[in-house]
Amino acid sequence: MREQAGLSQAELGTAVGVSRQTINSIERGRYLPSLPLAFALAGFFDALIEEVFDAHD
Amino acid sequence: MRTTDEPRRKPSVQRWVTPAAAVAIGVAYLAAGLLGGDTAFAVGGFILMVGIAAGLLVSRRFSETVAGLLDRRDERINALDSQATVFAGMALIAAVLIGFVVEIARGEDGAPYSMLGAIAGVAYVSALVVLRFRR
Repeated sequence: MREQAGLSQAELGTAVGVSRQTINSIERGRYLPSLPLAFALAGFFDALIEEVFDAHD
Repeated sequence: MRTTDEPRRKPSVQRWVTPAAAVAIGVAYLAAGLLGGDTAFAVGGFILMVGIAAGLLVSRRFSETVAGLLDRRDERINALDSQATVFAGMALIAAVLIGFVVEIARGEDGAPYSMLGAIAGVAYVSALVVLRFRR
């Protein structure tokens, strides 16, 4: 979704108020974001949380 | 998708807290050393702590982790900090318990480990009670 939008991890991190490392960890499935951050990410892409995250990952 | 041309957030004042605390500890070392007549400790301790403060402020430009630890804005780094603090606390408690047992085995009264263990216990229970009512 981020790559489709042409954004770097750092740009997305800046947009939602976290570091590039945190975006990287979320994408790799090594870190589960808090609910507020999950909402922020979904809101950034104008998507639903379940469209951004897979509950079974 | 939202655009990213929103105004950048102002730098956090929070980033000065840890370096300022390091300098304050350095001043305490300086004062304690001078009062105790140990000038080498006083000057060395002060220089060391000021160096740590300066090192943190400089390295935050090159390390996202250090920047996150100082700014306190990144939830993942805050979580890492909390977990690392718990680990350090558990290591310290283990050391206190071992020290206490060794002192008792040597026929001593367990000091100062008994007092340190009591402080840890009271702090844990107090935090648990406060957090219980806040969450």
